[in-house]
Amino acid sequence: MNLLFRSARILDPLSPFHQQVLDVWVENGVIRKIGENLPAAPAGQEIRAQGLSLSPGWLDLRVHAKDPGYEAKEDLYSLRRAAVAGGFTEIVLLPNTKPVAQTKESLGYFRRFSEEQVVTFLPAAALTLGCDGKDFTEMLDLHHAGAAAYTDGEHPVWNADILLKSLQYLAQVNGLLIQRPEEPTLTVHGQMHEGTVSTLLGMRGIPAMAEELVIQRDLRLLEYAVETFDLRPRLHFSLVSTGRSVQMIREAKAKGLPVTCDTAAHYLAFTDGDLVSFDTNLKVMPPFRPASEIDALRAGLLDGTIDALVSDHYPQDAESKNLEFDLAEFGISSLETTFATALTYGNLGLEKVLELFTTRPRAVLGRTPVTIAEGQIANLTVFNPEEEWTVTPADWKSKGRNTPFFGKTLKGRVLGIVNQGKSTFYHVKLGV
Amino acid sequence: MLSTRHLLGIKDLTEEDIQLIFQTADEFKEVLNRPIKKVPSLRDITIANVFFENSTRTRLSFELAEKRLSADVVNFSSSGSSVKKGETLLDTVNNILAMKVDLIVMRHSSPGAPHYLASRIPANVVNAGDGTHEHPTQALLDAFSIREKLGDVAGKKVAIIGDILHSRVALSNIFCLKKLGAEVMVCGPSTLIPRYIRELGVLVSHDVRQALSWCDVANVLRIQLERLQVKYFPSLREYSLYYGITKAMLDELDKPIVLMHPGPINRGVELSSDAADSADHSIILNQVENGVATRMAVLYLLAANR
Repeated sequence: MNLLFRSARILDPLSPFHQQVLDVWVENGVIRKIGENLPAAPAGQEIRAQGLSLSPGWLDLRVHAKDPGYEAKEDLYSLRRAAVAGGFTEIVLLPNTKPVAQTKESLGYFRRFSEEQVVTFLPAAALTLGCDGKDFTEMLDLHHAGAAAYTDGEHPVWNADILLKSLQYLAQVNGLLIQRPEEPTLTVHGQMHEGTVSTLLGMRGIPAMAEELVIQRDLRLLEYAVETFDLRPRLHFSLVSTGRSVQMIREAKAKGLPVTCDTAAHYLAFTDGDLVSFDTNLKVMPPFRPASEIDALRAGLLDGTIDALVSDHYPQDAESKNLEFDLAEFGISSLETTFATALTYGNLGLEKVLELFTTRPRAVLGRTPVTIAEGQIANLTVFNPEEEWTVTPADWKSKGRNTPFFGKTLKGRVLGIVNQGKSTFYHVKLGV
Repeated sequence: MLSTRHLLGIKDLTEEDIQLIFQTADEFKEVLNRPIKKVPSLRDITIANVFFENSTRTRLSFELAEKRLSADVVNFSSSGSSVKKGETLLDTVNNILAMKVDLIVMRHSSPGAPHYLASRIPANVVNAGDGTHEHPTQALLDAFSIREKLGDVAGKKVAIIGDILHSRVALSNIFCLKKLGAEVMVCGPSTLIPRYIRELGVLVSHDVRQALSWCDVANVLRIQLERLQVKYFPSLREYSLYYGITKAMLDELDKPIVLMHPGPINRGVELSSDAADSADHSIILNQVENGVATRMAVLYLLAANR
């Protein structure tokens, strides 16, 4: 695979070419030459585009695979296309498939599928068997089979003893434990954020406290594990959605605890007030919160408390969403709009957004940084940060059409990706 | 003309809409007291009463209202959601509409189910109760009954007593009474009061005697045991001891108050029999009578907006 990017803006703080507009020659999957006026490439290998920009490939820490088990909602092929359209070269897959990803065979299913392909799948293994929070999976074996992290995915680890022992055990292999913080006894039958709007709509609320309580508890457990056992277990909270959650994690980081966290880009775009339409595409877990919480999330993203933006891509079929609100499933099919959502609604600035999709999530996973320099393997996201585009069903790649963005205009368009010696482009023609 | 094609909730109505419904209901109430209690207004209209939750009086009241207006009426009842039988709400209703039905009256356990339907079908939709969200015709008939008894709703003090958390009647009543200029207090055990209810502009009390001495009208709600999926209070015995209303409590007040209940009453729980039957206080059966006239008004005005 050879490609010449003509007059591309390089956006990579780790690169000596950061913020420069240069030609980039990729030969056999390796960045061979970066400079001005590079010689023309053979036919069909040159890319010119308005606003052409290159970033180290983006990494998404939170994607629901749905395959195996729920192939009507997404299969690995449609998932790969959606990831390309979203600009992600690497995606972490949650274990909530059927069967649950809890053996080395199931991790192998994902890894084999993405070998030498343009999107690298990084499967997370289940922390407990069946993700039901009771018995441990074989975490050391899963580590050697390439588990990117350990998590019960969409299910919170509710049992404090299981969480503590997992932190201790995983510290042996420097494993990352991903917790989705929620106290389940406080969210029974909950449909949306508990507040004035849920009261007006007569809907069962999900209090912010249900998340904050678990973060408070788990930080204490982490501190205990660090102090008592002299270990450095790594704990990551996924989908923090409230100001108090951010503040507790900020304080824990200041104390030096090994904790990280993420939130999904769509939490910056919608509030609980948007649910007056009873639009089931806005039904997510945790739920959309009031505007004041969005401000707190933004502050946490800007000061580095929140380490990454994720898609929490959760494809659903029409049968699961075209229903009465309380019968509909949770989730948004979001891989394809996550970057543009962050750029359009986040008010974070392009450089910050890129950091939250590149260096920071890689650091969370403990992966080697990716950079744009001569001699480096090409792992690139190609995009135009200025382009405004309208999200349409015709261009949609995911099988999950559960998005609130159809018909909406977003800023920041992905053109394609380069990774593992392959490239795929959807919105640009390869010319001379 | 109403400002809306559907009656999904009181939230969507203007004060003018409510007054128009009341004026129309006045006329229909007069009709209901004639020897021939029927008018031909809706004889070209077919109405389906689609009830996914058990109901006796609301369904009966709607059906009588429809028949008094000479509409053709069909009934569909299914306890529990139709989804459990493998058919979606939209499929069920589209099947009914394929038989040339003009207007759907629906009760459903999901908040927002009538809104979901109204945005997807051509027929007018009347919400006959959607989960714990709204029950607009109940609120209209309650306010109509207050207006009838006290002359006006504006300026009156209305206490809604009981399980506020699970009550669509409470929510619709709050919206309706506030639009008409009444003061509203909700009263009940603290676990049955929604945490953010004050933001709707209502007073909150946990003392039933305080609520009774404050109000001109006490609207007492049924303790909906069937809706309580989680424990909210220790026992019915304790509830009736501390929140139940008796005739003696009403007689102790320094002024007569109006006693209302949307039914069905749990006698001996939220209301003692002597309070429920007290001719000096109770307008519970007037509410039932006014329900038919109010629903006739709603159906008549919506049919005019087809």
